[in-house]
Amino acid sequence: MKKRVYSILLATVMVMASVAGCNGTGKTGEETETQPAETAGESEKGTVDTRDAVVVAMGPNSEPESGFDPAYGWGAGEHVHEPLIQSTLTVTTTDLTIDYDLATDMQVSEDGLTWTVTIRDDARFTDGEPLTAEDVAFTYNTVKENSSVNDFTMLKEAVATDDTTVEFQMEKPYSIWPYSMAIVGIVPEHAYGPDYGEHPVGSGRYIMKQWDKGQQIIFEANPDYYGEAPKMKQVTVVFMDEDAAYAAALSGQVDLAYTAALYADQTIDGYQLLSYESVDNRGFNLPAEPASIDDNGNTIGNDFTSDVRVRRAINIGINREEMIEHVLNGHGTAAYSICDKMPWYNEEAEVSYDPEGAAALLDEAGWTPGADGIREKDGVRATLNILYSANDSVRQALAADTQNQLRELGIEASIEGVGWDTAYTRALSEPLIWGWGAHTPMELYNIYHTLDGKTAEYSPYSNETVDQYMDEALAATSLEDSYELWKKAQWDGTTGVTQEGDIPWIWLCNIDHLYWAKADLKVADQKLHPHGHGWSIVNNVDQWEWN
Amino acid sequence: MIQMNGRHKTVLLFLVAIVFLAAVTVCGWGFSEEAMVTDFSRKDISPGMPYLFGTDWLGRDMFLRTLTGLSMSIRIGILAAGVSSILALLLGTLAATMGKAVDGVITWVIDLVMGIPHILLLILISYAFGKGFKGVVVGVALTHWTSLARVIRGEVLQLKEALYIRTAQKLGVGRWEIAWKHMFPHLFPQFLVGLILMFPHAILHEASITFLGFGLPPEQPAIGIILSESMKYLAMGRWWLALFPGLFLVLTVMLFDVAGENLRKLLDPGSAHK
Repeated sequence: MKKRVYSILLATVMVMASVAGCNGTGKTGEETETQPAETAGESEKGTVDTRDAVVVAMGPNSEPESGFDPAYGWGAGEHVHEPLIQSTLTVTTTDLTIDYDLATDMQVSEDGLTWTVTIRDDARFTDGEPLTAEDVAFTYNTVKENSSVNDFTMLKEAVATDDTTVEFQMEKPYSIWPYSMAIVGIVPEHAYGPDYGEHPVGSGRYIMKQWDKGQQIIFEANPDYYGEAPKMKQVTVVFMDEDAAYAAALSGQVDLAYTAALYADQTIDGYQLLSYESVDNRGFNLPAEPASIDDNGNTIGNDFTSDVRVRRAINIGINREEMIEHVLNGHGTAAYSICDKMPWYNEEAEVSYDPEGAAALLDEAGWTPGADGIREKDGVRATLNILYSANDSVRQALAADTQNQLRELGIEASIEGVGWDTAYTRALSEPLIWGWGAHTPMELYNIYHTLDGKTAEYSPYSNETVDQYMDEALAATSLEDSYELWKKAQWDGTTGVTQEGDIPWIWLCNIDHLYWAKADLKVADQKLHPHGHGWSIVNNVDQWEWN
Repeated sequence: MIQMNGRHKTVLLFLVAIVFLAAVTVCGWGFSEEAMVTDFSRKDISPGMPYLFGTDWLGRDMFLRTLTGLSMSIRIGILAAGVSSILALLLGTLAATMGKAVDGVITWVIDLVMGIPHILLLILISYAFGKGFKGVVVGVALTHWTSLARVIRGEVLQLKEALYIRTAQKLGVGRWEIAWKHMFPHLFPQFLVGLILMFPHAILHEASITFLGFGLPPEQPAIGIILSESMKYLAMGRWWLALFPGLFLVLTVMLFDVAGENLRKLLDPGSAHK
């Protein structure tokens, strides 16, 4: 029998080891992963100019699956960022307005259907060929055709009218086109093919030198760059999980490592914790229509949250500051919209925490406290099942804190971790913790505008007036005019998507993006980071310096 | 000092193991509400009183979570091992009694299931059944019956040739009556021990696939989830979040084995009176 016990013990250990082994594919990789980084750092130390290389650790999801092709999500993907290898026509500035990169001028016709952009004539691809308007037109026609990630259906065709002028003919007016132009890297027509993603050629600040899949990418400064020469000559990006990135910083193997609030109360010798504000928001949807069953048998809408007073009560009944303290250890800012601090943000969205007001609204809606403190109406208990993405611990914590706070309002909430395979469908009838935030007002459109005039895509909601403002905003002839219309779509004094309006989404917080950085690394000023804790940090890596 | 003979000792060990496991199951079940509670005012507390195993970053009591997790594991184990062993009994008996063709098919199925790595098949089945409690139970139940089915098939084949069975056949006793009246009592000890020894496997596999993210959702107090979450904390030096739940898992698994082994001794005529 002893033997048997030992064998079981052994089996247990083996199972645990194999389990750890399975999980560790990333982990065993991590050692090999960090090694090149280390050697890169060391070899740099050997050379005369030691201080022009940097090693940055990002999460494994940041590695571009399809390589560095803008048509397949590089820069212009779910998480927008500057493409580094390629140049873009425009760039977004630190206050999120538009400036020029390749472009020297842009004009839009009265009807908003033609954009004419002139480009500089001194830009060259790193293979020596000049960058012409032909390349620009080719790039845009390619992304329109192929983009699997971003929507370019508003573009009809891009045409080069001469070497430095390109004309974009639009299907419909699209006033925020300059924001799209800020994320599409220009590819060379002569060197573009199916393997472009792995062997990118661009005219940007950096050249992709080496890509070890699953491990690291090494960039080197482009010596022929038309703009200011990058100060950082070599940038190595390594991919590792949060705990591995923390361990790599602990052992001094990386110069800058992404991290999460969970680690923020730790200290690492020789490193400082950098915290950047973001518009990387988290919030949840409240289906604004009563429940019904659609043709596919899915439930659409939610009876409890279809009452606007319930949604308003939840919006002011949530103590955002406390939630940020609890979940993010204070590393976040309260969110009231999908676009806080953006030029198109309407400050009317801001509300203050008001539990009494929330209780009064629920009372008014007929939900009165029962014997155990949970509100009831006609014998129905006030319940809400909050969904969150099962592998995201921050969203889990936000869901858990929301659950606790709703309990105080007399709403019995439960939480449930789900995969993205079912989350989109289930969110049509139940609140789901989402993350949004991008450098374009299109986010508002994606969330609140109806599809085919029926209901919004991600959570049942429709308001004709809101739709109309957004349509007008897209048709506006200047960005400034469009900002005003985007603001009106949020709240125009009588209707909108804010507290006094329909409030179909509750916004909780913007998550500060945290990094461990070597104390003597000077990271250049960041613009407000969008959703995605990845490439945004290196948008301006060319301006970083060592002290 | 009471003198204990071997049999007393065996009975005692068996009872202790069973009582402990039952206590964990019942307690865990009773605390399942409390184990889900998150309270940010008590997050990241080291082990001590009143939180024996400390709390995690959501302020959940890790002792209650471990207890409930084990309880859930044991319940999943019982359900899965129960279904699995009945499957094994049926298929094993069918293979041995229903002739060559049936035997061929069943042996082939056994070989097929055994040929695929357990954990892969488990993940596949669990995923296909939508993960969660149902996915895990079905997954474990459908993958763990093979070895017991083999044992039972062999046993029945042997029994078929036994004199008293042949005599019964000659006396014209029906097939089902033979199976039920003459064979089953003989098989029962094998079956019961096989069933109990299946628990540890079931529990460990439940923990493994939940650890890998193909089992229960992360707000549930399951031992696999506790262990996978605790991995993150190891780098920060919070080892207790992994150690105590891990030890408890090992202890539970070993106690099942102790119970199974001692039960076998009691039922096996060869060792029952030592």
